[in-house]
Amino acid sequence: MKISLNWLKEYVDIGNLPVPELISLLTMSGLEVEDYKDQNEIYKDFIVGFVKDKKKHPNADRLSLCTVYNGKEDLQVVCGAPNVDKGQKIIFAPVGSTIPKGNFVLKKAKIRGTESCGMICSEDELGLGDNHDGILVLDSSLVEGTPICDALNLNDVLIEIAITPNRPDALSHIGVARDISALLGKELKIPKVKSSKSISKLAEIEIEDKLNCPRYSAKIVKNVKINESPAWLKNKIKNIGLRPINNIVDVTNFVMHEVGQPLHAFDLNNLSKKKIIVKSTKEISTFKTLDSKDRKLPKDTLMICDGEKPIAIAGVMGGENSEINLETKDILIESAYFNPSSIRKTSKALALNTDASYRFERGTNPNITDFAAIRAAELIAEVSGGKIEEGIIDNYPNKIEPKKLTVRFTRISKLLGFGIDKEKIKNILSALELNIIKEDKDNLIVTVPTFRPDIEREVDIIEEIARINGYENIPTISKISITLDKKTDETTFTELIKSVANSLGFYEMINNPLLSKEKAMVIGDPIIVKNPQNLDMEYLRTSLIQGGLKVVSHNIKFGEKDLQLYEVGNVFNKTKKNIKSFDDFTEKSKLLFIVTGKSTKKEWNVNESGYDFYKLKGFLNSFERKIFLDNVLNDSYNAHESNFYDNYFQKNYKGKKIGEGGKLNKKILEQFDISQDVFLFEYDLEYLKDIAPDKKYYIEPLKFPKIYRDFAFIFDKEIIYNSVIEFISKNSSELSKSVRIFDLFENESLGKNKKSLAFALEYYSKDRTLTEEEVEKDFRSIIAAVTKKFDAQLRGN
Amino acid sequence: MLQEKIKLINKDFSFEIKSIKDAKQLDDLRVKYFSKNGLVPSLFALLKEATSKEKPLLGKILNEFRTDLQNQFDNVNSQLNDIKNTNLNKLDLTLPGVISNIGSKHILTQTLDEIKFIFKGMGFSVHEGPELESDYNNFEALNFAQDHPARDMQDTFFVSDDFVLRTHTSPVQIRLMKKQKPPVRAIMPGRVYRNEAVSSRSYCMFHQVEGLYVDTDVTFAELKGTLASFAKQFYGDDLKFRFRPSFFPFTEPSAEMDITCFICKGDGCKICKQSGWLEILGCGMVDPNVFDNVGYDNEKYTGYAFGMGIERIAMLKFGITDIRVFFENDYRFLKQF
Ligand SMILES: [Zn+2]
Repeated sequence: MKISLNWLKEYVDIGNLPVPELISLLTMSGLEVEDYKDQNEIYKDFIVGFVKDKKKHPNADRLSLCTVYNGKEDLQVVCGAPNVDKGQKIIFAPVGSTIPKGNFVLKKAKIRGTESCGMICSEDELGLGDNHDGILVLDSSLVEGTPICDALNLNDVLIEIAITPNRPDALSHIGVARDISALLGKELKIPKVKSSKSISKLAEIEIEDKLNCPRYSAKIVKNVKINESPAWLKNKIKNIGLRPINNIVDVTNFVMHEVGQPLHAFDLNNLSKKKIIVKSTKEISTFKTLDSKDRKLPKDTLMICDGEKPIAIAGVMGGENSEINLETKDILIESAYFNPSSIRKTSKALALNTDASYRFERGTNPNITDFAAIRAAELIAEVSGGKIEEGIIDNYPNKIEPKKLTVRFTRISKLLGFGIDKEKIKNILSALELNIIKEDKDNLIVTVPTFRPDIEREVDIIEEIARINGYENIPTISKISITLDKKTDETTFTELIKSVANSLGFYEMINNPLLSKEKAMVIGDPIIVKNPQNLDMEYLRTSLIQGGLKVVSHNIKFGEKDLQLYEVGNVFNKTKKNIKSFDDFTEKSKLLFIVTGKSTKKEWNVNESGYDFYKLKGFLNSFERKIFLDNVLNDSYNAHESNFYDNYFQKNYKGKKIGEGGKLNKKILEQFDISQDVFLFEYDLEYLKDIAPDKKYYIEPLKFPKIYRDFAFIFDKEIIYNSVIEFISKNSSELSKSVRIFDLFENESLGKNKKSLAFALEYYSKDRTLTEEEVEKDFRSIIAAVTKKFDAQLRGN
Repeated sequence: MLQEKIKLINKDFSFEIKSIKDAKQLDDLRVKYFSKNGLVPSLFALLKEATSKEKPLLGKILNEFRTDLQNQFDNVNSQLNDIKNTNLNKLDLTLPGVISNIGSKHILTQTLDEIKFIFKGMGFSVHEGPELESDYNNFEALNFAQDHPARDMQDTFFVSDDFVLRTHTSPVQIRLMKKQKPPVRAIMPGRVYRNEAVSSRSYCMFHQVEGLYVDTDVTFAELKGTLASFAKQFYGDDLKFRFRPSFFPFTEPSAEMDITCFICKGDGCKICKQSGWLEILGCGMVDPNVFDNVGYDNEKYTGYAFGMGIERIAMLKFGITDIRVFFENDYRFLKQF
């Protein structure tokens, strides 16, 4: 919201407080200043200039060569504006001035070979408006050399404040002035109006929906002359960033920005039966608003109607049918209080946000409608020559009374951690118009003004005290106490996973879980976002694989083809069509490893090699060993149903799948625009966490020597490694502690469709030194068993 | 006569052979003493002039002398050859080493780790919660009334009428308090979503760390002290900070914490929009309505809560100007950290 400092000063005296201090004071009291423009500072270098002469630029058709008199001397200025002409008074920017648009310092320059000593400015360049078609031509009576701050009354400070949703009271100049008055201890000056008696003969107001419209006040002004507003009013309206329309609309805007009450002016003679009825629609209907748009109104929309038809969407926007126009003579000024949530519903349903709806949905002051109506009527009479009709029409069946709240002094210090002087507390409350109606040594009882709907409880009052007293005055303690209870860290396992992955050479990626439909549908049953930002982010990821492949694809495009990546993140799958409870979907934490390209690059003493299925398996084995899950999980190699993989395997724990992966199929890779092999594996992280042992035990190193044996057999080619190794393990005596393949060899010389597998066996006992004889006996019996079982042939050794 | 010459030559030779440094000098020495016209053969020429009586003895002396010089020469020669051979067989230590691959955590994870480390040191536990949350946990329980404009503070992705992609990590507060009686002191990191257009300054998802401390005597002063300590540990000891009033439905009073802009040291720059301050987190005292919603006695207990965005912190700390780079996962970016 924009605040004009000059305007603000009409309600509170800030003395000679420097502008930056005022700005800081506002920010530090919760009215955060996002930006401010001190016109005296911005425009200090600009002056009124006179265009004495204008010639064509010798080298450019579109440029003119002007002689500008600055009050002291004639200067040559190149100007590109089509409307510049001899005899104009203009805004002249001398060399060295800072042009607001673009924030640059103007230098003496050669433009197309001709020197230019300054610039003739447009509205847009100065930030005074958005007209950039040409230069701003000034009143001819202005004197050359006059600073434009004086010539154009540019001596305001325009402050942009971010008002938090709890502070509707601060959405006006008086509201902001009230905080300043409390902060500075200065009096708040509210304009006086003549009091009006309530009457009902001028027009009739009927409220059908009393819940959503607790109060409707109106004031009538007759014989107005619709016209441009006077300069003081236009200037104020412009300074807060609005466009002046006419004297009636400008006054209603003025009063809204003065006291925060949105107003609407109806042409009284267009009101059928001179009647206003406030009611909610019973069914869906359409209505043309004053911006000539047909609006589709839902059921239960609060409307302002006359004797026969709707004339405005209450609190949001007036209708075209009752708008004031140049012929309007008599006006009715509406000043009402509407239920905030009703206005918010309407505004949301119509996607129509106006200055009025913005204030009503945050909560206006129900007890100020009469004041605002009279204030507007008086100003309208003043600027339009109209006559105010005696009395106010005011329908307020159930007066909304200020709340009463108790504040305990002890509670203030319990919450804030320090005590505040009682007198100081009382002064703050009074300045904010929280009137103290009762006081004892422990408590204050205050009434809460109806312009502060946010103050509902004791704690809200404590906040006001803390805020005005200053957060900087709350001590910053330097010691805390810590309980000796057990601390938990639910992220420990994930951290362990990540450091193991790093040590294996993997880089962590973090992907956006929102995917396009096409990508999400690749796996699982994705959940759709009802209001996506765009179609590329319409579904939640069902797996980490899609995001991983997008990253692979992105990197390959940028020439990074050798990748080793992992991600830990949550994936989402629907289990029911509509999500009404946590049982209707799953959210699971997953861990993805993904490798592609070369695992080692050619170096002077290293040969190049690529990632493959076995390297992936190897990574997983090393990873599992580090989290103590080696020899716990077992692999299975059934073909994958979805044809997702060329080479697929899964890992299981006690028969339950704990992860899956392999070499991806070309078809899948094509969907991600990838043409090189990709190997990946995705673990169910929660399950992994459940089974990972949290305790480890020491194993004493072996005290007796190991005995090694190895052998190689020629097998039929279709005999798989796993069946051989399992057979050897099963048929060895307990002396044989491990079997490991160390060579695989295929060659015609072995015979057709044959292969040779070589194994190394390790024998030892924890309790004694083995004898060669017993090992040899065992070794021989395995050789015999393997030979027999697989019809294998022992190779000479 | 001959014996004197032998003495002289011996003296010169002994001197010269000591100063031999390379094969070239050695060869010069060989030419000087051992070649056809060299000094040693010239001595044999002199032998002819000796009397026949002296000849056998002088011949013997001369032969012994020649053998001695030749031995000395051979020794030096073999030493030089040894050095040469060693140099040939030696490793070229200047060749580059073989690089081992070590990966790294994403910079956001590293930033979060640092934050966790600091708060764990101050007695905080670490908890997590789901990203797909009920509207109740994300809003209602945190005192966001159904039709209140406060809901506009966070643009929300809906997956149904009752479920949303959480807009902040604050619902984890609710989950934690419902599970556990006070005292509760925990931080809750996680991913959150906002329905905002993607640009260099905002993304539709980002990460937050939430903090909560509830006990019988928790004060705003302690909130200030704890967060000031965090900021100093994280950003450096010399920073200034300030707390200014703000609004969050789930805290009352609410505040935002600013620290001196570490780019311009408070003088004002583009990053801090000329203010000299950088907003780093939102915080406040837990609203009594939130305590009601989780079944805590709001007379007996007080508490504070805070929340900060990790991307913003990492952007400031590492000079990253486009938030999108975090989620592109460009290998060249990942490898930098
Ligand atoms: Zn700065």
